[in-house]
Amino acid sequence: MPVDNPRDNPRDNPRDNPRAARGAGRVPRGLLAVLLAPLAVGVLAGCGVSSSGDPAAPGQIAAVGAENEYANVIEQIGGRYVKVSAIESNPNTDPHTYEASPSVAQTVSQAALIVQNGVGYDTYMEKIESASPSAGRRVIDVQKLLDLPESTPNPHLWYKPSTMPAVAAALARELSELQPAHAAYFAANARAFDASLQPWLKALRRFGEHHPNTPVATTEPVADYMLEAAGVDNLTPFSIQADIMNGTDPAPQDASLEQSLFAAHRVKAFVHNQQVTSSLTESFVNDAKHSGIPVVGVYETMPTPGYDYQSWMMAELRAIEEAVTQGVSTEKL
Amino acid sequence: MSHFLAPVFEVGFFESDAVRTAVIVGAAVAVVAGALGVFTVMRGQSFAAEAFGDIGTSGGSGAFLIGAAPLVGFLVFGVLAAGAMELVGIQRARGRDLATGIALGAALGLAALFMYLDSTIHNTTGVVVTILFGSIFEIAGSTIPLVAALAAAVVAVLLVIHRPLLLSTVSPEIAGARGVPVRIVGATYLLALAAAVALCALTIGSILSTALLIGPAAAALRATRRPGRAVLLAAALGVAAMWLGIVLAYDSYYWPPRGNGWPVSFFVVTIVFVVYLLSGVPAWRERRRAHAATARRAFADDRGTPHRATAG
Repeated sequence: MPVDNPRDNPRDNPRDNPRAARGAGRVPRGLLAVLLAPLAVGVLAGCGVSSSGDPAAPGQIAAVGAENEYANVIEQIGGRYVKVSAIESNPNTDPHTYEASPSVAQTVSQAALIVQNGVGYDTYMEKIESASPSAGRRVIDVQKLLDLPESTPNPHLWYKPSTMPAVAAALARELSELQPAHAAYFAANARAFDASLQPWLKALRRFGEHHPNTPVATTEPVADYMLEAAGVDNLTPFSIQADIMNGTDPAPQDASLEQSLFAAHRVKAFVHNQQVTSSLTESFVNDAKHSGIPVVGVYETMPTPGYDYQSWMMAELRAIEEAVTQGVSTEKL
Repeated sequence: MSHFLAPVFEVGFFESDAVRTAVIVGAAVAVVAGALGVFTVMRGQSFAAEAFGDIGTSGGSGAFLIGAAPLVGFLVFGVLAAGAMELVGIQRARGRDLATGIALGAALGLAALFMYLDSTIHNTTGVVVTILFGSIFEIAGSTIPLVAALAAAVVAVLLVIHRPLLLSTVSPEIAGARGVPVRIVGATYLLALAAAVALCALTIGSILSTALLIGPAAAALRATRRPGRAVLLAAALGVAAMWLGIVLAYDSYYWPPRGNGWPVSFFVVTIVFVVYLLSGVPAWRERRRAHAATARRAFADDRGTPHRATAG
């Protein structure tokens, strides 16, 4: 790869903090506020902007990826001429319920180049952009780039194999207009990116050929585009996936159907969104394990550190393949 | 049975694990709520129940943060609140309403923070719906023993204290004179109430919990003034509302928008409301009849002495 591997600071890991909340039931109210203040600060830091250190140097383009997988691709195409920030990178946050903080608004409003998903997944981006109009700012809205309607039911576009090549091409175009002197560099990076995606695309095709119409169950449509590309047959009705995605209670009829998929061994793997869980999804995981069905945890945002977009996608496909062929569970990457 | 009841119970109702758990938990909770509710209405302490609901909201949402069951959170915060209320002496709304309102607001604010943290650092989803409005179809079957034990404990406590409780409810002075430890009885009842509200919150959510506690009890007390009968009637009405709500919510899967059932709590609370309205009908008709009789008498008097007005 022609660029440095981006490194998100795993700072202020908010997982350390619930201990503060644990005592909350037992302490007097005054103490509570004292205990909670650092907790809230820690969380805001954890969910806020994560970028690779110092502010943009002169000659660098300040860029923002609303989700860290897009930020990663910006970094790969822009290389040393961009300074990228990712808004959503916390693997413990449900991106669908994300609310932007003032510091996020500042980062976004100062960016010269933005990649956002659209389809209602990151509406806060549009709000911030329209609140701070800037003539020079370039926004790549992936939904518009792919010419998808606002009513697209599944917003997890980055799992679609055709998405990132299109994003990479658009990035090379926009970056070249911002810094025409480095157009050849950006174009070469985009070509290298496309080439590095080939192993994943080939693996997807091969999976479809070797295991046609493999039946699986899911909790959410997170990885549905990839499953579709791999020729997988997702037996979970979309209504239950949408309910869990939107944080409402699925109907008991749907829950029974999902349970029957496990009990009757009708699926070869259970692909669940380990980033967003509820007592119901946990009970599904238990049901699947009980029936000996391998569980694969998938991610809404790119797990960091250690992954780039390509290796993340590859790792998830591998996990599904191992589940189907060897019955091995991969609950976390 | 399935044949002639087919229009009522949609396919799979009796086979669904979620429905079975909901029916068992719902019945246990409704019985406890009915029994406690009668005393709550008689003592004029529905405010305390509402307060337990509000404070339980922070407890339930906080429980997710430490990976505990929401019921445990509702219960712990409710019991703490009962202790605080007993110490400060604000079991009723009158007086100190300002300070209490602000404290309850703070509790709900804490709930807002916990719910935010639940979805940001603890990858939980659907917490807001589960805590505020209840997710009775999502209750794990493994919760049934805990619910049953809690419900049995509350009923047992009530059986033990019901006589002194009744006496100190009707007249604290006479109870005190007869050697009833009024304050201890009151505090015990408050703890039982906190547990009952926690159970209600598990089924129909913390902010709706009072409806199940007060509604059937108030309706029952309109039908009979005898506390024993009122308790049985309230429990029966509560169970009926709960079960009918579960059936309707299950069937609503086939109503628009198809494939998404309506919330159980909506049905339960609406049924409770309708039952309460209906329970007022006899008294209303009585009043109307009395009114009509008075009017008739006045009219008859009027006709009987036609010249009185002019004579006067």
